[in-house]
Amino acid sequence: MVAGNQEKGWNDPPQFSYGLQTQAQGVQKRNFLNKRVPPPQLDGSQVSLPSGAPLPAKPLSPTLPLAPPPSTVVLPARRLSAVDSTALSASAHTECEASIEDVMGLLDWALTACRTTVKRQVCDEVSKRLTLFQEMWISGKLSSPVKKRMYYLAQELKKQNWDSADETHRSLIVDYVNEVSQWMVGVKRLIAETRNLPTEVLNAEGPSPKEDTTQNTQ
Amino acid sequence: VSMATYQEFIQQNEDRDGVRFSWNVWPSSRLEATRMVVPLSCLFTPMKERPDLPPVQYEPVLCSRPTCKAVLNPLCQVDYRAKLWACNFCFQRNQFPPAYAGISEGNQPAELMPQFSTIEYIVQRGPQTPLIFLYVVDICLEEEDLQALKESLQMSLSLLPPNALVGLITFGRMVQVHELSCEGISKSYVFRGTKDLSAKQIQEMLGLTKPAVPVQQGRPAQPQDRSISSRFLQPVHKIDMNLTDLLGELQRDPWPVPQGKRPLRSTGIALSIAVGLLEGTLPNTGARIMLFTGGPPTQGPGMVVGDELKTPIRSWHDIEKDNAKHLKKATKYYEALASRSAVNGHCIDIYACALDQTGLLEMKCCSNLTGGHIVMGDSFNTSLFKQTFQRVFTKDYNGEFRMAFGGELEVKTSRELKISGAIGPCVSLNAKGPCVSETELGLGGTSQWKICGINQFTTLGMYFEVVNQHNAPVPQGGRGAIQFITQYQHSSTQKRIRVTTVARNWADAQSQIQHIEAAFDQEAAAVLMARLGVFRAESEEGPDVLRWLDRQLIRLCQKFGQFHKDDPNSFRLSESFSLYPQFMFHLRRSPFLQVFNNSPDESSYYRHHFVRQDLTQSLIMIQPILYSYSFYGPPEPVLLDSSSILPDRILLMDTFFQLVIYHGETIAQWRKAGYQEMAEYENFKQLLQAPLDDAQEILQTRFPMPRYVDTEHGGSQARFLLSKVNPSQTHNNLYAWGQETGAPILTDDVSLQVFMDHLKKLAVSSAS
Repeated sequence: MVAGNQEKGWNDPPQFSYGLQTQAQGVQKRNFLNKRVPPPQLDGSQVSLPSGAPLPAKPLSPTLPLAPPPSTVVLPARRLSAVDSTALSASAHTECEASIEDVMGLLDWALTACRTTVKRQVCDEVSKRLTLFQEMWISGKLSSPVKKRMYYLAQELKKQNWDSADETHRSLIVDYVNEVSQWMVGVKRLIAETRNLPTEVLNAEGPSPKEDTTQNTQ
Repeated sequence: VSMATYQEFIQQNEDRDGVRFSWNVWPSSRLEATRMVVPLSCLFTPMKERPDLPPVQYEPVLCSRPTCKAVLNPLCQVDYRAKLWACNFCFQRNQFPPAYAGISEGNQPAELMPQFSTIEYIVQRGPQTPLIFLYVVDICLEEEDLQALKESLQMSLSLLPPNALVGLITFGRMVQVHELSCEGISKSYVFRGTKDLSAKQIQEMLGLTKPAVPVQQGRPAQPQDRSISSRFLQPVHKIDMNLTDLLGELQRDPWPVPQGKRPLRSTGIALSIAVGLLEGTLPNTGARIMLFTGGPPTQGPGMVVGDELKTPIRSWHDIEKDNAKHLKKATKYYEALASRSAVNGHCIDIYACALDQTGLLEMKCCSNLTGGHIVMGDSFNTSLFKQTFQRVFTKDYNGEFRMAFGGELEVKTSRELKISGAIGPCVSLNAKGPCVSETELGLGGTSQWKICGINQFTTLGMYFEVVNQHNAPVPQGGRGAIQFITQYQHSSTQKRIRVTTVARNWADAQSQIQHIEAAFDQEAAAVLMARLGVFRAESEEGPDVLRWLDRQLIRLCQKFGQFHKDDPNSFRLSESFSLYPQFMFHLRRSPFLQVFNNSPDESSYYRHHFVRQDLTQSLIMIQPILYSYSFYGPPEPVLLDSSSILPDRILLMDTFFQLVIYHGETIAQWRKAGYQEMAEYENFKQLLQAPLDDAQEILQTRFPMPRYVDTEHGGSQARFLLSKVNPSQTHNNLYAWGQETGAPILTDDVSLQVFMDHLKKLAVSSAS
């Protein structure tokens, strides 16, 4: 979760990652903040305070010097547990262990496989964008989370987990559009074309070097 | 029957059928129904999310009477031996189709089982046509904004259904229709932004006309037609790379904007071309025309303001004084476009991001008539726009897109009822018939409506008339019935039909008023009356709506209150009515009925969302939710009143459009002193976090995304909370330009307490 753009939009809400949003929107829960209190005069009773735990004799007003808050262990009951971050964003702040060669090796495997049946023009367009991605990585223009997620994407692609690779591309373009917008559509296309290849083609290509190195558990 | 069980009954019915009635026991005569004050009406959510309802893969069975054609449902009487069924609406006896030969009491088809009062059919009708997304993009934006918008559009290509067709029109002073090809050479057709063209002319100029192919009723366009428009509309999976590049290369409108002038923006022509492009080639398939604009239309038909900056865009005062010279003409222009689009089954979205107004007042019909979205933000480079836009493409628990298209709703009623009308994001299909009442409320004179853009929240207000004569016996079987039949194109392009059939008991209002009272749904009634109020406000002007609302409230209290004449202190309302006056108090002060605190665009925006949301969200808009967080117990709802603001509480207010977290004076001081960082005050840290966590739930799911205000006692942003809980200062002059008619009214600019006192006085008065 990242703060909104307070310069451009007053009271701009915070920005949530693609993963968090997808998780939250999958199942529509009933709105839990939905209770109201009738005004005291019409419900027959003369209670003018909301129901609940009894209040202290006087609300705690600030005094000089400021008295500290209660430090008893009784915690205010919470309505819901905090929303969990996705695994992908959990390790966002550590450096990426993979090298660009690791990632490109996997992506190039897919592209080579595509060249057997997919139109040359399309493959060239994809290649152009992969090259741009590579250049940006090498010149340090890509942030660590983008690099890590691209490595994960490339591994999923090699393992033929198409939907996972696709979701990962979507999470990258939603969360990091200004870093990836110029080349991500090439990766998107690569996934789409590779998954449609006949199985013999996919399985004929040998595993690329370093394919079985330590899995980056996300 | 107690209130608690009725609440359960009401909730179960909403969960299962997406229906909330104002009255759940129906007064059996027309006269008595009008005396109830609140009309017999319901909020209906045609595509209410039902994760537990798998669709069936066969066609619905219809009554064979040509003027009926109701769908077989659990209320029908069935003779399993003779394989006959009796329509519960018209009593026609029908033969079951051959496929039902094997049914029996022990082997019922799903549509006869009571738990399937709502059921969905998947029907195979002709080839499936892909969805269409036509982007219409304003390039008169500041550099930073244009860059942010371009990125959002590029991102959206990854979110669209892969087989969808996509197209691009850009506009500024001129309008450009871009040819999409994989050749890498981008061509476009340029139109002047000032000259209005007919649909035929547009199609000719784009080279889209060919000898007419007879198109059969209800069938989608044949494949060869699609190849003609394919120069401008291509499948995403084929064109994504080229379109990404094309979007990336878009430049600001090259025409220089002189000092003191606005950019020349030809929004009207751009929309006209978009509508014409889709109309000629792909009518009646799901399509979204998505307009992205950063300022008002300033030239050509549909212009809202001229290009001189010194002439401001119209305010409500200007409109009241008849000083808005473009308003009528522009509104008429966009209404014509909207109507054509609705006939074609295409919806129009407006994404308007600017610090000043963009002409939503004139253009709102484009979205309101077609079920398209309106999103209003300050800049395209904000989280509010970016995430709201992303949410257009959300998927459900099955991984399917929530958006649906081409909704056509038909309503049937048992003979004691007729349909007066509907209020919501729809157009009338002018379908006359025995169910149609002569009294119109909302869009009436029809039993069928079209909702081109529809999703799981889209909710219509439906109004009915009881036509049984006074003193006629309560109908046999004692229940009235209504059937809602909604056909639509699912996002997977499948055609589906959802059928909901509901029934409620009739009761004689003379002898059984307590049953009718106990079954009153005050929440639904408040929203249904509010929609009527907004509908009136958009067609009439001024304080008449408030007076009408006040009159209805006083009449309701006179009818259902318990009191001694002329003794206000004796006045009581039963539990099922207890929240209703408060809803009306807040409704009267709401931006839906009080326009002078907002710009005309803002009012249009708020009203747009108000007349399409489900009950829970609508109620939040009428009377914001306020929860209090403290050390003394779990978070609890509190009165939306200044007395709820206390130094040692944190308040979370949800107005639907904003989420406000307000820290009381002491809380703010503790926060400033940093107690939340100290280990022994972990509970304070948790207290601070609790409202943030609850707000986050809402922030992550609501469409549109709300603004987010984190403020405290003395903070400048605290005004968002204070203006809702205190009597407004600016209401004072609102009754100045209306005339007193002598009818009893409630005074404005008062606290809830004073409002209630006035209400009680008027309700018990023998003079009223």
